[in-house]
Amino acid sequence: MGGKVTCTLGEVKQRADFIVYWGGNPAECHPRHFTKYTIMQKSKFLPRGRKDRTMVLVDIRETKSAKAADIFLQVKPGKDFELITILRAMIKDQHVTDEQIAVTGLSREVLDDLVGRMKGAKFGCMFFGMGLSMTRGKHMNSAALLTLAAEMNAFTKFVAMPMRGHGNVTGADVIMRWQTGFPFGITFNRGYPRYNPGEFSTVDVLVRGDCDAAFIIGADPGATMPQPAIEHLKRIPTIVLDPHVTHTSRLSRVHITTAPQGIAAPGTAYRMDEIPLPLKPPLKSPYPTDEQVVRRINEAIAAKPFWMPEGSQPQMLTAQV
Amino acid sequence: MLRITGGKVYDPANGIDGEVRDLAIDDHGRFVESVDGGRTIDATGMIVFPGGVDVHTHVAGGAINFARAMTPEDHRRTQAFIRTKSRRSGLGGMAPTTFATGYLYAGMGWTTVNEAAVPVLSARHTHEELADIPIVDKTSLTLMANNEIMLDQLEQGEYERAKQVVAWYLWAAKSYGVKAVNPGGVAAWKWGKDAKQLASPIEGYKKLTPGGIVTQLARICDDLGLPHPIHLHCNNLGAPGNIATTLDTLKHLEGSRAHIAHSQYHAYGGDGWDTMCSETAQLADYFNTHPNITTDAGAVLFGDTVTITADGPWQHLLYKLTGRKWGNLDVENETGCGIVPYTYRPSNLVNAVQWASGLELLLLIQNPWQVFLSTDHPNGGCFWRYPEIIKLLMSADFRKECTRKLPDKIKGKITLPEVDREYTLYEIAVSMSAGPAKALGLSHKGSLGIGCDADVVIYNQDDDPARMFGHPRYVIKGGEVVIEEGDILETPQGREFLVKPARDPDIDAFMRPRFEECYTMSFENYPVEMERIEHAEIRECISHAP
Ligand SMILES: [Zn+2]
Repeated sequence: MGGKVTCTLGEVKQRADFIVYWGGNPAECHPRHFTKYTIMQKSKFLPRGRKDRTMVLVDIRETKSAKAADIFLQVKPGKDFELITILRAMIKDQHVTDEQIAVTGLSREVLDDLVGRMKGAKFGCMFFGMGLSMTRGKHMNSAALLTLAAEMNAFTKFVAMPMRGHGNVTGADVIMRWQTGFPFGITFNRGYPRYNPGEFSTVDVLVRGDCDAAFIIGADPGATMPQPAIEHLKRIPTIVLDPHVTHTSRLSRVHITTAPQGIAAPGTAYRMDEIPLPLKPPLKSPYPTDEQVVRRINEAIAAKPFWMPEGSQPQMLTAQV
Repeated sequence: MLRITGGKVYDPANGIDGEVRDLAIDDHGRFVESVDGGRTIDATGMIVFPGGVDVHTHVAGGAINFARAMTPEDHRRTQAFIRTKSRRSGLGGMAPTTFATGYLYAGMGWTTVNEAAVPVLSARHTHEELADIPIVDKTSLTLMANNEIMLDQLEQGEYERAKQVVAWYLWAAKSYGVKAVNPGGVAAWKWGKDAKQLASPIEGYKKLTPGGIVTQLARICDDLGLPHPIHLHCNNLGAPGNIATTLDTLKHLEGSRAHIAHSQYHAYGGDGWDTMCSETAQLADYFNTHPNITTDAGAVLFGDTVTITADGPWQHLLYKLTGRKWGNLDVENETGCGIVPYTYRPSNLVNAVQWASGLELLLLIQNPWQVFLSTDHPNGGCFWRYPEIIKLLMSADFRKECTRKLPDKIKGKITLPEVDREYTLYEIAVSMSAGPAKALGLSHKGSLGIGCDADVVIYNQDDDPARMFGHPRYVIKGGEVVIEEGDILETPQGREFLVKPARDPDIDAFMRPRFEECYTMSFENYPVEMERIEHAEIRECISHAP
């Protein structure tokens, strides 16, 4: 168990006749998702567009997205994991008791119908949002849904995809992976990358007061992080690169105004399905780009004495302990 | 400027077999007749080879980066590169990080690598990763055999159009050539199906068959004059009895140039996992009588690895067989991608057959200019284990010792125990450098001749080939000494080679509406901009049309 069975958004646009949004509210949070990628699109394989597609919404409350759905399943808060596990059993014709189903707030008839539709689909896709991945169960919920999608491939084509947030979070994740092997929560304090979310994640490092400087690009932790983390940012030299003055800029020692990405600074943004899109800025900015600033800081650091004593060469670790 | 004197030189591209020769390198990093001044390396008593060339590997892009995400437990235990003045930090292991990839390749004397599977849609990402692989020069191949816009043209009998579509995609991807993976099968996988045989129907198409795709795509590569022929991952990979499919594929390729990728995975007999056996003798026979086709071994080594391929349906099967993690990423209109961690065990009969088969192909195909060292990294094993394979090829005794550890039931399923051939140093130099360079059409690589790129590896002579090839004394890339006695001295940025095949002026207009129908990014944003390729060098296309 584990892994991820997914596709790029164009595959959904072209083929998905069965679309589930789970724990998300695309009508309000990703307003172009329906029209650009999913239910409203016509394609070679689904020429009638919306009529050829079934949309299911699973959520704890009836959001605006429910209006767009053919089927709305209101799951009891905190019972997503149970519901996914029941579906995993039902697709394999394993026995599930009425009491187990009752916990989810849904009925056997509704779930039988859902399983029938899932298996009857030619191409199913499940999008999941923070209502699944950030509530009780967290990453266990995501893992369960990804497993359900994987297991559905015994019957028909099925994929799953997280609805990633705004900004270029995916891009940072992708690049950290190719340079260090890990997506986030990385420390270099032994001279090579190590990973432990919960220990090396920014928030944990700040709350413990482990770092003696902070360098922040394109984020505003001063607005979102817990108070002890914010207090530590105030204590240490904090440097912020941002086109705007943010909460974090106000508590920082240095704020450097930079050109906004995609508007006045070129680059690459990675879409939620990890497809790289070039940013072609329509405007010019009097401010330097983040990249230019970081390069200049790097040059200045390179001019300083190396972090290890002259003449010492660390051994390569053939295995970590 | 650099001189290398007194070494025993193995330079198969120029027929030099262990003669003591001096080499001279100018300030442009090329071999010349002689130089005045500069450093001299006294290589007396040492062995001098052209730098290694990997004809088939997966080191950059969405697929390997997906594999990195899926294997944090391996990163945690594997070798680590600590940052120093000359190198950046990184991790080795099953799916090494980019900087480490460059250090590991260069560290064993490989100086050119071919990234063998790139979807155009994420080619921008692949090039960004390639730019982060230091030292080595690079090429990349575009996944074409399941591209639906091209398949639609073939279905309609529009060969010329299909050729134009391929040319358009290659330039959009800033690619060096064409990779074909399970032709038609991956397109069928978009509907959860496969296409295993050359005459199989392809879900979504009426007339088109995998055989039709193979034959025409090979011809397209020749007609466009690509320096490297079609690079083909055949249908029915990994399945018992697939030798029939592979031989049928080869027949469909007659009259064209072709490179068959990782043929170890395509040379099995039997009709189930219990009866699976090696049929490498049959496949080797074909190569021995058809000197114009080449292959790489795709050899398997026992141990942990992660398998990654565009062959989505095969990975689904592997996931069902192993019950391990499964990653799958279907790429709109173009291709698929699957990831499954895997452990090859000597006690497992299927794995034992695979281990033997890879070596058998390397040994039974007589001409080393036709079969090259590869593990289909990381599929059969990691590239940094190549020295182990070299030892297996050079020592029949060592092979016998390893074969004894296989289960008794292996008897009759493999031919390896009957093969006494031992590679010479000259043959190793062909298989790891001169041969793959020639197959890739990189005439300035894999050769120590005047005017060629001065990529050289110098070994201390050693009775243990694994130790000798694992620890070169010097590695020289483009005339610069990058490795000396295991230390990384310099990490120059390598180049990327690509092609710009001739295209009809109206191909953009033809592509636009078809593109807009199935893609989700804008037509203008799709092609990778030339300025994004670091140290790009366009290689010439010369028509190979008969
Ligand atoms: Zn491969």
